[in-house]
Amino acid sequence: MSSDALKKRKSKVLRSDGGTPEMKRGRGEGDMQCVEVEQRRMQSCIHFMNLKKLNRLAHMRLKRGRDQTHEVIPTLLSNTVYEIFKEIPASVKSKHEEIDLVSEGEFYQEAPQEISRPHLTKNDPHQLTLARLDWELEQRKRLAEKYKESQASRETIQKSIEVKKEHLTSLQPGLNAIMQASLPVQEYLSMPFEQTQKQTEIARHLPPPLYVLFVQANAYGQACDKNLSVSISGDVDEAKALSKPPDDSQDDESDSDAEEEQEKTKRRRPTTGGQLDDKRREMLKRHPLSLCLDLKCKDGSILHLFFYYLMNLNILTVKTKVSTATDLNTAISAGELLKSDTLLSCLYTSDHGRETPNPANRYQFDKVGIVSFADYVEDLGHPYMWVQNLGGLHFPSDSSEVCTVSVGSSLSASHMESTMKLLRGRVQSRLALHKQFASLEHSIIPVSSECQHLFPAKIISRLARWTTISQQEYMDLQYTRHVSDAGLAKETDLYFMSVVERGTARLQAAVVLSPRYPEISPLFSLSLSWKGERSGRTDDNLRAMESEVNVFKNELQGPRPGHQLLTNQIARLCVCLDVYLETEGQDDGVEGPREFPREKMCLRTVRGPNRLKPFKYNHPQGFFSHR
Amino acid sequence: MGPIELLHMSVFSQSFSPCGRFLAAGNNYGEIAVFSLSAALSPDATAANQKPVLTFTAHEGPVFSLLSTDVHLLSAGNGEISAWSWNELSKKNVKPLWTKRPNYKSSLEIPEINSMIINPRDNSLVVGGGDNNIHILDLEHGVFKNVLQGHSDYIHCVSVRDREAEILSGGEDGAVRMWDSRSGQCVHCIEVYKYESCARPQFGKWISCLTTDSDWMLCGGGPSLSLWHLRSLSPTSVFPLSGCQRQAAFYQDKILAVGEGAFVSHCLLGGEVKAQIPCTPQSLNTLQLNTNSTEHRVLTVGGSSDHIDVFTNLSYRAFSLSF
Repeated sequence: MSSDALKKRKSKVLRSDGGTPEMKRGRGEGDMQCVEVEQRRMQSCIHFMNLKKLNRLAHMRLKRGRDQTHEVIPTLLSNTVYEIFKEIPASVKSKHEEIDLVSEGEFYQEAPQEISRPHLTKNDPHQLTLARLDWELEQRKRLAEKYKESQASRETIQKSIEVKKEHLTSLQPGLNAIMQASLPVQEYLSMPFEQTQKQTEIARHLPPPLYVLFVQANAYGQACDKNLSVSISGDVDEAKALSKPPDDSQDDESDSDAEEEQEKTKRRRPTTGGQLDDKRREMLKRHPLSLCLDLKCKDGSILHLFFYYLMNLNILTVKTKVSTATDLNTAISAGELLKSDTLLSCLYTSDHGRETPNPANRYQFDKVGIVSFADYVEDLGHPYMWVQNLGGLHFPSDSSEVCTVSVGSSLSASHMESTMKLLRGRVQSRLALHKQFASLEHSIIPVSSECQHLFPAKIISRLARWTTISQQEYMDLQYTRHVSDAGLAKETDLYFMSVVERGTARLQAAVVLSPRYPEISPLFSLSLSWKGERSGRTDDNLRAMESEVNVFKNELQGPRPGHQLLTNQIARLCVCLDVYLETEGQDDGVEGPREFPREKMCLRTVRGPNRLKPFKYNHPQGFFSHR
Repeated sequence: MGPIELLHMSVFSQSFSPCGRFLAAGNNYGEIAVFSLSAALSPDATAANQKPVLTFTAHEGPVFSLLSTDVHLLSAGNGEISAWSWNELSKKNVKPLWTKRPNYKSSLEIPEINSMIINPRDNSLVVGGGDNNIHILDLEHGVFKNVLQGHSDYIHCVSVRDREAEILSGGEDGAVRMWDSRSGQCVHCIEVYKYESCARPQFGKWISCLTTDSDWMLCGGGPSLSLWHLRSLSPTSVFPLSGCQRQAAFYQDKILAVGEGAFVSHCLLGGEVKAQIPCTPQSLNTLQLNTNSTEHRVLTVGGSSDHIDVFTNLSYRAFSLSF
């Protein structure tokens, strides 16, 4: 339309233009101008046509676009709507299904009618769900109420407990007063509850091994052995102070040592020797509390055992003391017998208590330069294996053990009875030996009435000397070589020299006494000086005499527990020397009477390929025969 | 046997098995131990091989004499003789085949039996012991068929002179008696201590050691060990050994003797002491040569110790067996 208008206008313009310029100018110039104008007219028509065409194109394009979008938009819209609607049901669904509802069956059973409304809900799931939610709400309300109630009741009970506690604590001073008042009554009735209570109180501060020992020893004493008493001594306050900070473990110990060392070297430079000494002392420190066990024996003598716990080494040690009812006769040779050092040596085989039984201690010792525990044993006590056992401590030994190993109280209990018996036996035998030695030093061989039948009535050879000798002196003797070679002369044994004389004959007997006498019998080795030197090694008859006392010793035990073995052996030696000298063959080349006339009755004086003399005494006939 | 018993043990007798592979030894506790020589002599022998394969108590008293026949081991205890089968012993079965007691007159003390020897001529066992008599046991019939009386003190050793059918015995009374085995009569009696060349009055007169080799006899004890020519009944050599000898043997051209002293003496027939080889026991009671086996040809000696020395080469001690 506009194009039409434009056309019209154009044509108007054209006409007008055409008219005007033609009239103005003349007819000549007017032709040239008419051609130009015609040309221009054509160009502008063409331009107008192009413009129209473009306009039309633009309109068409627009229309096409609109149509397209009109087609697409509804689908897009429906898609998004669909998406949205898809989300909604899910979120709406999970919200109420999060709640744990009771199952339907239960719901119908439990819920009251007004909530469950079965006639409605059975058919309508929506109503059902609603009803179930209702029921859930009901229940929750009820439980919340119950909770509040229980809280309240708890509070009240708590309060009443408090009140009662106060009441009890108020009783305590009253009770104490009563206890105090009852002390004299206790003493009168000899039921020392107070004392035992005190002990138990202190016992709480004992280190575990001493505690085990305390408990077990007490129990054993009460149950089986009235002559055993246990007491605790030492500083309780120190013990309390020790138990407050946590126990130093081995690593801490070394760490703190290292720290200390560093610190010390920074601050000042003390001598390294002093430092080491301090460390050693620290390592070997004893727990402030110790146990004292008193074993009373039948004859009134008491064995006091003092048990100590070395905290850093985790071992127990023991020191001993013997007190006798009557003063012991001083016998020089008996000096070693009751010494604390050797009294309990080898109570059990090869338990000599000179080294620590705890293998871990080796590493600790290396750190502080302790070579051997034996150096400290005198001061700290002996760490015998049986002491560790009584304290419930068990350390693995070098040899692999196949048997099951118990620890703690059961270990202690299993060893208690046998150890106590051995301890008593040991003290008794030592005291018996002490008495015997006193006698022997006076050249008297005490033979009890029960053992008289072992020997003939008349014994002419007599004991001239009884002395102790050192192990080195024993090993230096020629005629004891075979004993040392057989490993029967140990460091823990005691050595003695006895001399038996008759006329010009002198019999030397070197004796090895084991600490476990009389379980292990003393071993004699003989050497005779008479018309030359002979010993048990060169003379078969002297060897036979050694057999008489060493091998056939069971006859010489005497009444149980066999403490008279040693003196009986010496008596037998005297008898054998008598026989030896009296049955010696007469030397036909020498003139003169026999030095030792025959007095012993013998059936035969010589027998067998090595021509042995009759050393066996037969009672009551009183004659000598061969074995 | 504890260590103390071992310390006081003495070995008195030894005997090799007929096959030569085992050695039986008797000690003063009445035990007999059987050692396996083949095991002990093998190149890979250990300490355990030097211990007995079997030890058992054979008699109440010491076992002073052991003797092997072709199949049996005969042992002498306190007045009794037991026979064991070597086969059974190798299987560790220790039941004796039989035990016999000679007739002893006195019953107060049972006399010991010091020496036994087989008389091959009539398969009899000649037994000498503490009752001063020699008893002859017929091994076939198992009965004591004769008693030779004559010694005035107990008999230490017996020997047999096969060619002349004679039995020789040496006793505590210092006499060496020669008996005719058939008649039982004493044909000669030599009192060695009366010969000045041999006599050692400082020791005594007893004869504890006696062995014969056809015309020759070795005897010693209190008197020195001496070699006698039996035809002429005179001593030809006297051996200057210090102690009293308890056993001697002829070996090739030498004489081996043991007794007091911790050594084996090697002597030449002429009377020289060629060597004295040291041993473990301080004095020796028994000496045996294993002639039954060529591969285990050893000399073993035992005495006042629980060790028995074994010599593979006579010049030195190879090792020791021990109870």
